[in-house]
Amino acid sequence: MNVPSEQTPTASTLSAGGLPIEEVDCPLCGRDDAEPIAVGEDFEYHTTRDSWRMVRCRRCRLLYLNPRPAPAALDAIYPDDYHAFAFEPARFGLIHAVRTRLEARRLRRWCRGLPKRARVVDVGCGDGFHLQILRRYGRPGWQLEGVDPSPRAVTAARRAGLNIHAGTVEQVGLPPASYDLALMIMTLEHVPDPLASLAAVRRALKPRGRLVVVTDNADTLDFRLFGRRHWGGYHFPRHFHLFDAATLGATAAAAGFGVRRAETAVSPINAMYSLRNLLVDLGAPAKVHDRLTLDSPVGLGLFTVLDALQAARGEGSVLCATLERSGRGRVLRGRFGGAR
Amino acid sequence: MSARTQPAPVVIVGGGLAGLTAAHALRHHGIPFRLFEASDRLAGLARSFRDADGFSHDFGAHFITNRLAAALGMGAECRTVQHYGEVVRLGGEDISYPLGLLGVPRFDLSAAWTRLRDAVRSTASPNDAATWFRHNFGRALADEVALPLLEAWSGQAAERLAPAVGEKLPGGLLETLWLKLAGRLTDRAVAIGYCGALPQSASVWHVYPEHGVGAICARLAEGLDDAVTLGTRVQRIRVEGGRAVSVRVEDDELPVSAVISTAPIHVLPRLVEGTDALERFARFRFRPMILANLNLEGRHLLSDTVVWLPERGFASYRVTEAPISMPWLAPEGKTTLTVDIGCEVGDDWWTASDAAIAARCLEDIAPLVPDAARRHRSHRVLRTPIGYPLFMRDYESDRLRLAIDGTGVDNLLSVGRNGAFDHLLMEDVYCRTLAQVQPLIDELLPAVRAA
Repeated sequence: MNVPSEQTPTASTLSAGGLPIEEVDCPLCGRDDAEPIAVGEDFEYHTTRDSWRMVRCRRCRLLYLNPRPAPAALDAIYPDDYHAFAFEPARFGLIHAVRTRLEARRLRRWCRGLPKRARVVDVGCGDGFHLQILRRYGRPGWQLEGVDPSPRAVTAARRAGLNIHAGTVEQVGLPPASYDLALMIMTLEHVPDPLASLAAVRRALKPRGRLVVVTDNADTLDFRLFGRRHWGGYHFPRHFHLFDAATLGATAAAAGFGVRRAETAVSPINAMYSLRNLLVDLGAPAKVHDRLTLDSPVGLGLFTVLDALQAARGEGSVLCATLERSGRGRVLRGRFGGAR
Repeated sequence: MSARTQPAPVVIVGGGLAGLTAAHALRHHGIPFRLFEASDRLAGLARSFRDADGFSHDFGAHFITNRLAAALGMGAECRTVQHYGEVVRLGGEDISYPLGLLGVPRFDLSAAWTRLRDAVRSTASPNDAATWFRHNFGRALADEVALPLLEAWSGQAAERLAPAVGEKLPGGLLETLWLKLAGRLTDRAVAIGYCGALPQSASVWHVYPEHGVGAICARLAEGLDDAVTLGTRVQRIRVEGGRAVSVRVEDDELPVSAVISTAPIHVLPRLVEGTDALERFARFRFRPMILANLNLEGRHLLSDTVVWLPERGFASYRVTEAPISMPWLAPEGKTTLTVDIGCEVGDDWWTASDAAIAARCLEDIAPLVPDAARRHRSHRVLRTPIGYPLFMRDYESDRLRLAIDGTGVDNLLSVGRNGAFDHLLMEDVYCRTLAQVQPLIDELLPAVRAA
C-alpha cells in the first residue's frame, strides 16, 4: 500500500492543459470540505487553457483555489509581462505618478512611529515599487530589503539598486527578531501556504514589530455581482486564497499575530477587471476591453470613484490590516470599519 | 512509515464514477483502501467508446459541467457544448421546453386556475406524483405532458409514485428565463435542470471531454492502480455489532475499516450478512431501460437535441439527437438518434433481438423522421435492468431514511446513482459522494496520521 506519509499529502498531476496542478486542503483550517463558488479561466494573461475553481471552506469560510497550479507551474502562470514585475514609469506614465503619490501616503501612515534606523522588509516586493517609494519618501536611515521568489522581479528590483533576498520568505531565512516593519502588499493571496509565510515573517519581526497585510477584499459589491466567474480578485489562477475581514483575522490569529488596526481601502482594480473579464469572456472586441486595463487612466479613474463610494461603507476593494507580533491585538470579526 | 500499524483498508465496491471519486478522496488523505470492480474495466455507466464507423457512444450522461471539469483539472480538454435544447411533441408540432409550453393558452389558463383555486382553498401537500404535477403545473399540462411522460418513463401509474419525482425538476421560471438568455448571449449550453447538488448559474454549462465522458473516470483513477482490482467481485460484507468488519473477496476474508458500496441499493441486502438493517431496501425498484442508438445518414433530423413524446402511440418517451449539441459524436453528414424505451426485464422489448429493436424504434420515430428506415445504417442497443430509480410511494419513507440516515450500518456507505438511489447526474454523483465520504475520512484520518 503506497500511502503518503505527510500530514496533508498533495500529489501533483498534470492538468489537461499540461500544467502541473495539485489538490489542496483548506490552507487555513486544514480540512478538505469546500463548496465550489466560481469557475473561470485566465482572462487576463491567457497563460493556460485550463478552467479553475474557487471554493469556500465549509468550516472556516476561506476562499481558495482547488485544484491549483503546483509549484512547478509558477513560471508558466507568471508571464514576463506580469504587471508586478514591470510597473515602469515609462510605460504607465501618469498612472505611475498618481499611484506612486497615493501609495506613498498609505506607506507613510503605516511607517508612522518607526525609529530612525528601522529595518523594513517588503515580502513579495515584485519589482520593488513600494521599496522605491520608501527610499524616496521615508527616512534616510531606514534599512530597506525585499523578498521575492521570481527571478524576473528580483532582477528588476536589484537593477533599481534595492537589497533583495531571492526566494520565498520561508526559504530565504531572514534574520530572526530583526525587523521593525514587514509589508505584504498583494502577496498573501499568492503564496502557497499563508500560515507558513506569516510564521516566517513573524519570526523575522522584532518583539514589537508590525506587519502590514494588504490583500483583495472578497466582501464587496463587485464580488457579489461577479463572484460566480468574472470577479477581478480571482485573477485565475494566481490568487490561491482570498480573504474577507473575518478570514483574514482568523488567518492572522492562527499565525500568532494580533490585529492592531484594520480597514478597507480604495482600489479600482477588482471592479474594473470584473467588467473586463466579463467582456473578454463574451468575446467583445479588444478595443472595448482595452479601456479597462492597468494602463487606462479613464477606466482607473472611473472605478476609483466607484470604489471610493464602497470604501465609505467599509467595503473598499482591499483589506489593510496592521498586525503585531505580540499577538495581543483584538480578534477581528465581521467587516473592517464597516457601518453594518 | 512508523511502527504503528495502518488501520485496515476501506473497501470500495465498484469502480464507476462514484467508486473512483471515493477512492480519489481517500488517496488524497492517505487513507488505505482497496477497490474491487467486478467487470474487467473501470468507469461503469460513465464509459464511452468510439466504434469503427466513427460514432461515439456514451453509456450514461452525454456531458458534464465545466464546474466538474475544473474540479478534475480537465477544463482544457473539454469542448464547450454551445446549444442544448428540448422540445415536446404535441399534435404533430414540436413545442420548446419549457418556455414554448408557456405560449400554449390552455396550459396557462389551467395553471392559473389551479393557482387561484389553491390560493382560495387550502390544500394538503400532495402525497403522490399525479397530484403534485396537477398542483404545480395545472391539470392540462400535467395530464397532457408531464404525467404521460412520467408513466411511460416509469411504467407506473403516477398515483403510485412519490411527489419527490416532481421535486427533482429545475427551479423557477425567472431563473430559467435568465439562464436561457445567458446561454444565448454566451453561446454556451448553460446547464438548466442539470445541477442537483450545486446551484445552477450562467457560469455553469455543459462541456464534453475530448475522449468522451469516460475520461473523467480515467482522470480520477490516475495513480490508483496499486489499490484497484478488476474482474473481482465482493462476495459478502460481514457486519458485527452494527459495523462492517470484513468483506469476502475470492473466498478470502479481508478485514475492513469501512465499506463504500456503489452496488444498486436493492442488491446490497443480499451482500450483507450479520444484520437485517438493510432488508428494507430490498424492495426498492429500478426501471429497466433499452437505449437504442440508431446511426443514420443526415444530421438535424430532429427539431432539437431532445424530443419528448408524451402522446400515446409512441413506444418511446424520448428521442435524442446528441450530435445536434455535440457534432463531434458522429461523422460529418451522419447522426445518431438515441431512442429510450422503458421496459421490464423479460418483456417482449427486452427479449427482442437488437435488429428487431432497431426496426421497431425506426417505425416508432417515423412520425418525427419519416424516412428514418431508409437513412438507417447501423445500430447499437444497450439494455440495462437498472435504468432509473423508481420513487414508489410504498417505500418513500425508507428512501428518505436512506438519504438522511444512510444504510443503518455506520461504516457502510451506499453511494452513487444506484447506491444512493437517486436521480443523480455526473456532477451530483461527484459532489454527493464526496459529501457522503467526508465523515468517514474525518473518522479515519486520526488513526492514519498516527500510523
